Amino acid sequence: MIIPVRCFTCGRVIGHLYEEYARRTEAGESAEKVLDDLKLERYCCRRMLITHVELIDEVMPFT
Amino acid sequence: MKLVVREITDTRCSFIVDGVKPDIVNALRRTLIADVPKMAIDEVEFHMGPIRDEEGNEYDSNSALFDEMIAHRLGMVPIPTDLQHFTFREQCECNGAGCPHCTIIYVMNKKGPCTVYSGDLQPLGDISLNIKEELIPIVKLKEKQALLIYATAILGRGKDHAKWQSVTICGYKNFPKITIKNDDCCFDPEDCVRSCPRKVFEVEKGKVIIKNLENCDLCMNCLDHCESSDGRGEPFIEVDEVTDKFIFTFETDGSITAKDALIYALKNLEDKYEELREQVSGLD
Ligand code: SF4
Ligand SMILES: [Zn+2]
Ligand SMILES: [Zn+2]
Repeated sequence: MIIPVRCFTCGRVIGHLYEEYARRTEAGESAEKVLDDLKLERYCCRRMLITHVELIDEVMPFT
Repeated sequence: MKLVVREITDTRCSFIVDGVKPDIVNALRRTLIADVPKMAIDEVEFHMGPIRDEEGNEYDSNSALFDEMIAHRLGMVPIPTDLQHFTFREQCECNGAGCPHCTIIYVMNKKGPCTVYSGDLQPLGDISLNIKEELIPIVKLKEKQALLIYATAILGRGKDHAKWQSVTICGYKNFPKITIKNDDCCFDPEDCVRSCPRKVFEVEKGKVIIKNLENCDLCMNCLDHCESSDGRGEPFIEVDEVTDKFIFTFETDGSITAKDALIYALKNLEDKYEELREQVSGLD
């Protein structure tokens, strides 16, 4: 729905990184490089951004 | 017991403890996770019904997420905590009524269309209580939707709820001890270096040397490789753990600094052992 505030596994706050991640990967940068720049070193935190599907824009018209 | 700090930043700390049994180190780990307090939003009051702005436009207090979800998301937002200043509500001089020593009240007033961020939480009073991670999306609003919230943050401990857990990742490993038994063992030094996932070894003048000892995870991968290239059974590398020396690492979520968390945990542990000693000496 919307990016979780924290990593499910380790609890690191990751919500504030999503918009930069989405903007930069959209512009064609490789996800690996962006995640490294955002200093996400554990794979639990990295998957939070990689696997996220922002569905809230789809749902919003029906509320 | 000897404690040497390897690395310390605002949110991350890594140190080496020497001369202790695992039970003490584990007690410290558990104290850091469960007993170091922080402020977190515990109660959220939503304004129900229509909301009007200055120009008289009417908004609906509604959004794409359930109110419970929004409250939960607000709970996870780290809130800057000064452990000298705040006390638990039950122990506060206000007797649990709520005062500036035990409670922070945040207001959030947003009108769509917009994205609501954690930075939109405005503290009543002291601006040093502003949220540090300002860009955490909380919810999105479309036209004619608005959000008016009063959120109350109180002090709590990790054992009561994960939102009060100030230390997120926290663990330790035994200090590694690696010996290369024979100086000219290497048939294929490059293979040996490649076999280690933590980049412990390096090749220097055609020989394998130990470069980053503290990186070692004790995964024993290098032993398998050594054996296979040696072909005579016994591997030339010996990897062992030092049983009374540990590398300890933890991170905080940013609401308190790593240094404060460590000092608080050590103090808390000391108090607990002192209490135990007193109670035991009271027995016949
Ligand atoms: S035990 Fe694992 S981490 Fe340690 S040196 Fe060998 S391969 Fe590297
Ligand atoms: Zn994580
Ligand atoms: Zn009080």
